[in-house]
Amino acid sequence: MAALLLPATLLVLGLLVAPMAMLFRISLNRYDAAQMMQEALTAENYLRALADPYYREVLGTTLGVAFTSTLLALLIGFPAAYWLARMESRWKSLATILTLFPLLVGNVVRAAGWMALLGRDGAINAGLIGMGLIAEPWPMLYTTGAVIAGILAVVAPYMILTLAAVIEGIPRGVEEAAANLGASPMTAFRRVVLPLALPGVAAGCVLVFILCMNAYATPVLLGGPQFKMMAPAVYDQFVRGTNWPFGAALAFLLLIVTLALTIIGSTILASRSRSR
Amino acid sequence: MAGSRLQRAAFGVAVTGAYGLILAPVLAVIVISVFAQEIVSFPPTGFSLAWYANAWEKREFARGFATSLQLALAATAIGVPLGTAAALALARARLGGLRGALNTLLLGPLAVPGVVAGTALYLFYVRAEFWVDDDIKGTLPGLVAAHVLLTIPWTVRLVLASLQGLDRAAEEAAANLGARPFTVFRRITLPMLRPGVVAACLFSFIQSFENLELTLLLVGPGRTTLPVAMLNYLEFRVDPTLAAVATVQIALVGALMLITDRFVSLSRVV
Repeated sequence: MAALLLPATLLVLGLLVAPMAMLFRISLNRYDAAQMMQEALTAENYLRALADPYYREVLGTTLGVAFTSTLLALLIGFPAAYWLARMESRWKSLATILTLFPLLVGNVVRAAGWMALLGRDGAINAGLIGMGLIAEPWPMLYTTGAVIAGILAVVAPYMILTLAAVIEGIPRGVEEAAANLGASPMTAFRRVVLPLALPGVAAGCVLVFILCMNAYATPVLLGGPQFKMMAPAVYDQFVRGTNWPFGAALAFLLLIVTLALTIIGSTILASRSRSR
Repeated sequence: MAGSRLQRAAFGVAVTGAYGLILAPVLAVIVISVFAQEIVSFPPTGFSLAWYANAWEKREFARGFATSLQLALAATAIGVPLGTAAALALARARLGGLRGALNTLLLGPLAVPGVVAGTALYLFYVRAEFWVDDDIKGTLPGLVAAHVLLTIPWTVRLVLASLQGLDRAAEEAAANLGARPFTVFRRITLPMLRPGVVAACLFSFIQSFENLELTLLLVGPGRTTLPVAMLNYLEFRVDPTLAAVATVQIALVGALMLITDRFVSLSRVV
C-alpha cells in the first residue's frame, strides 16, 4: 500500500526538492565572467543583493505593494466573505463559482482586462471624460496604483474563500445571543464575529501575502518597464544576464524574506487570538 | 432603525465593490473582444467578431493554444493517477511518523512560489542537458514533467478530502461478501472517490493550462504556451485580437467549471 506513494514522492523529490537544493548551492558560488561560475562557499551574492541600492528599492517596492494589497484584501474581503458564508439559498453554489471563476481564469487574462480599463483611452478615462469630471485622460496604467488594483483583484478571491470557510463555522447563535443582549451589529461584529474569525484572518493574510510577494504577470503588465518587483527581477537575471549565482541568491532572498515575515505575522496573530 | 439601514447599505456596497473588483477585468476582456476598431478606445465605434478569426490566424496563438492543450491533458493524465495513488496510501497505509512529512512534501509544489520553483527547474534542466546530451527545456516532455508537479498537490488535497468523508462499511461489506481487494477497489472505492477525482482533474487541467511562472523559463522557440504568448503580446499592447484569445480561455475555464459542478458541488470542494 505504501508503495503507491512512491511515484509521486519521487517526482516531487526529483523535480522540486533536488532542483531547489541545487539552486541554493549555486547561490553560494562566485560569478566569473569567463567561466560563468566558480565553485565557492560564499554569502557575497546575498550581501551584494542587500547592499545594492537598486535591489533594495525593488525589495522595498515589493514589500510595500504586498503589505498594502494584503491589508486592502482583508478590508474588502471580509464583508464579501461574510455575505458568502451566511448565504443559505441555492444561489450559494453560484456565488462560490463566481468567486472561484476569476481565480481560475489566470493572471495574464485579468491583466489584459485591467489594461483595457485603465489605459489612456480605457473605459475609466472615457467614462470620467464623458461625465465631464476630467478634461484630459488621467494616467492610471503603469502606476503603483494600477499594480495594487491588479494584485488586489487577483488575491481577493483567495481571501474571500479562506475567510468564508472559517465564518461558516461560527454558529449563528452566538451573533443572535449578542444581539439579544443588546449589542449593535457593529459591536457584535467587533466583539464576537471578528475574534472568532481570527484564525481565518491569519490564514488568509499569510496566503495572500505570499501570493503578493511573488506576483509576476501583474507587475510586469500593469507596472510597465520602469516598475520592478522581486519576481520579475529574479527572472531578468536569467533571461537577460548570465550571473546565475546572483540570480539564485535573489530567488532565495525572496523566499527567505517572505517566509520570515509570514512566520512573524502568524505568530503575532496567533498570540492575539489566544489572549482573548 | 436608521443606523441599521445605513449599515445594511454600507455592507451591500462593500460586497458589491469587492465582487466588482474581481469580476471587472474578466468582463472587460470579453467586452473588448467584440469591439470593431483595432485600437481599443471607449466608446466603441461598432461591434465585430472578426477578431476571433484573426486570432486563430496568428500562429503564436494557434500554436500556443495547441501546446497548452496538449500540455494540460498530458499533465492531468499523468499527475491525477499518481496523486490519487499517493492520496490513497496517505489515508490508508501504515506510515507511522512519516505521514505528516510525506503530506507536507506532496503539497510542497503548492507552497513554493512559482518563480523560485521555475528558476530552480530551469537551472536543473540546463544541468541535466549536459548529462543526457539532449534538449530538455523547450521540449514537450520537459514541460509536461514540470506541469505534473503542479497537478500533484491539488490531486492529493482533493482526493484526500473525499477519502476522509468516505464510509468504510461499504468496502468491508463487499469484502465480507467475497469480493477480492482489487474488485472492492474498482467497484466500491473508486466510484465513491469520483467527486474528488473529477475535481482533481478540473483543477489540474486549469492549473496547467493557465500556468505562467513555472513555464516562463522552460518554453523554447516554436514551443510557447498560450499564457506565455499572451504575456509577450501584452508587453506591447492590448487589442481585440488578444482579448478574443483571452475570451476563448475564459470560455474554456467556465465550461470546465460548469461541467465539473454537475459531478461535484464546487462550493463543497474548495
